[in-house]
Amino acid sequence: MTALWPFDASIESLWLALYLASFALHAVFVSYVAAGTGYTLIAALRGAPDPIAERTRDWLPFMLGAGITAGVGPLLFIQLLYQRRFYTGNLLLGPRWGAVVPALILGFYALYLAKASSRWRRFALGVGLACFAFVAWSWTEIHLVMMDDAAWRAMYGAGTRMYLSLDVVPRLAIWLGAMLALYAMVAAWSAASGERRRLAVLALVGLVASAATAAIQAGTRGALDPAHGWTYVLMLAAAAATVGWAWILRRPDGPGLALATGATTAALLAGAVVREAPRLAMIERGRASASESGGLVVFFVTLAVGVAAITWVIRTVRGAAAT
Amino acid sequence: MSPIDSTIPYYPVNDFGPLMKGLVIGGVGILHVFLAQFAIGGGMLLWYFERRAQRGDRDARTFVDGYFKVLVLISFVVGALTGVAMWFTTIQVGARTIGLMIDEFHWLWATEWIWFAVEIVAGYAFYRYGPRLADRARLRLLALYAVASWLSLFWINGILSWQLTPGDWLEGGGIWAGFFNASFWPSLVFRTAVATTLAALAGCILINTMDLPRERRAALLRRAARFAAPIAVMPVLALWFLAVLPEDSRSWLLGGSMPMTMFVGVAAGASFLIGAYVVVGLIVQRLYINGATATLLLGLAFGATAAGEFVREGARKPYTVRGVLYSTSIRPTEVAALRAGGATANDPYPLKATYPSEQLTRGAKVERALCDACHTMRGANALVELTRTWTDDQLRLNLAKLQRTKGFMPPFAGNAEDVEALVQLLRWEHRERAAGFAPTSAPEHLAQIARWLDEAGTGPAGATR
Repeated sequence: MTALWPFDASIESLWLALYLASFALHAVFVSYVAAGTGYTLIAALRGAPDPIAERTRDWLPFMLGAGITAGVGPLLFIQLLYQRRFYTGNLLLGPRWGAVVPALILGFYALYLAKASSRWRRFALGVGLACFAFVAWSWTEIHLVMMDDAAWRAMYGAGTRMYLSLDVVPRLAIWLGAMLALYAMVAAWSAASGERRRLAVLALVGLVASAATAAIQAGTRGALDPAHGWTYVLMLAAAAATVGWAWILRRPDGPGLALATGATTAALLAGAVVREAPRLAMIERGRASASESGGLVVFFVTLAVGVAAITWVIRTVRGAAAT
Repeated sequence: MSPIDSTIPYYPVNDFGPLMKGLVIGGVGILHVFLAQFAIGGGMLLWYFERRAQRGDRDARTFVDGYFKVLVLISFVVGALTGVAMWFTTIQVGARTIGLMIDEFHWLWATEWIWFAVEIVAGYAFYRYGPRLADRARLRLLALYAVASWLSLFWINGILSWQLTPGDWLEGGGIWAGFFNASFWPSLVFRTAVATTLAALAGCILINTMDLPRERRAALLRRAARFAAPIAVMPVLALWFLAVLPEDSRSWLLGGSMPMTMFVGVAAGASFLIGAYVVVGLIVQRLYINGATATLLLGLAFGATAAGEFVREGARKPYTVRGVLYSTSIRPTEVAALRAGGATANDPYPLKATYPSEQLTRGAKVERALCDACHTMRGANALVELTRTWTDDQLRLNLAKLQRTKGFMPPFAGNAEDVEALVQLLRWEHRERAAGFAPTSAPEHLAQIARWLDEAGTGPAGATR
């Protein structure tokens, strides 16, 4: 039974849904970090006062912590969905892939340094941005390695730790554009009217860059994968987000931000499904040890308790934040 | 055939040079465990000091805010990221093991993730807004942080202890039989005691950096030292842990394997020294502990943690999951088929180096498939050194009857030709890869090896439980 492609009544479908949801959440945080670090670096290089950059710099370490924590979810579920492929990709890229961990540690401390020291700010933000760019590139790379099992033997035999495919570039470019839009979406909620206009420009640049790269890629391939209609949902949501951001340019305090946020979130979720579509046939089904495992009820009860606890924390500190 | 299609998963094997894989994962794991336990104990310690602060102890408040900064800067960054590193490293060392753990316990692992997320959110909220919050909110936030971090330990502890003592899970007892296994409770109580001790010692270091008169620092130190008191019951907890171990594992820790016994001694000795100082010096005699001494004790605690983790990992041999998966990433049920078809017949990955003969090439593939998880050729735990003085027939016998040669080795999961190929590879390595190396194998050697393999059987030397 297929209720809403690619979801059905199988356990793999539940893993997929949780994978996509946690991946989307992770993407929001890491987009804020990657694009926000870039924005604050440019602001620091310009030297002019910039309230958006100041607020972003203040939030960056927390956002990175939240991004890494949220990233554990997709990291868990990807091991259920594509276990052999993910492990093989890890092993083929080897220590080069493992370098994402020290890169993140270095980037983390760089963000703290940028927050604490105006003297070292530019240097620290530059280091942070380089670290996050490396991590983004590495994830893009492993995504493609996982799918290219025909290349595994040769790659291993040659001892190659890099997957030098041209596909990495447009994929990364689409993500970088989306990251700008996601960063703008989060940052705009705490921004003043004039600041929102600047963020709207940033988001529009990101959306146009993503869309143009995707269009060029589809044109080069000569085909557009509709992904059972999800691609059209993505296009529609991206168009609505564009309208929302354009509306903010004209009326920063109007309903444009709500529209842009809703549409960008919808585009993110639809984009996650579209991104997944080419490898859905690779999902490793039928591992009895995984599909018959217990503990599902405990997880969902804990999820409810955890969401309630986090909501309580946010409500508790909201008053303090206002002061 | 694509590597993805084989019945038994074959993964590309990475070489870490002179480092054996256990050292790689051990290095990351020990650091992660140390920092994670520090964070867990830190939550409890901070809640206690916050409670004191709200009853009028102003220095306690200063301590709480200072300690939390350290906690966030060290544990939330390096602690959290070494957790991610543990997954990546485990994949490098034993992809099939981590895959099995994920398969069996993914919902509980996801449960642990939820608590970890709550811990991080509560922690950051306190770090960022704590000074601006009302007393009641501060205390509740710290309580949530402490409970969430301990529950994170609770869930991960069940998964890790299952590897050593899966118990009734092996007979189809289900996930809860595996989770609440024999070593679950001793391990959980032991780790909780370690966590509070580490937090207390780190607290003592921090208190010594506070700009306060000595007597006020001493008062804070005495309070913090109470949290290290659980280390006094470590000997009882260690005995409890030993009592629930499978008999063969226990025998290695208690003299059957001298390296393991020595690590038990290091862990016990370091814990005893810390415990004696804490109980006699700090709690009974109310001595003042300066920053240098506290740092030394924390260093000793790191040593004890490292030795303890080594013991826990080593006690599982020859398995990574007792009764289910050998350290070679081969299931006991697969050994018979590999004896018939050969260890590397379906291995899709080529060798990176070239060898002068087909037999040596096969030997290198066998070494990669069956030895590389725990040994190197010439580095740590080197095969060349372990076998240097063995005669050729001794090599053949010891490899064919591997689980009888050493009880913590798995059975040889290959056929007679594989044994002989590995023997010739080791002879070649013993002769420093001599150019004119001549293999000495003969049909009668293969026949003898086959008999030895049959005599040894395909099962492990010890019990499966």
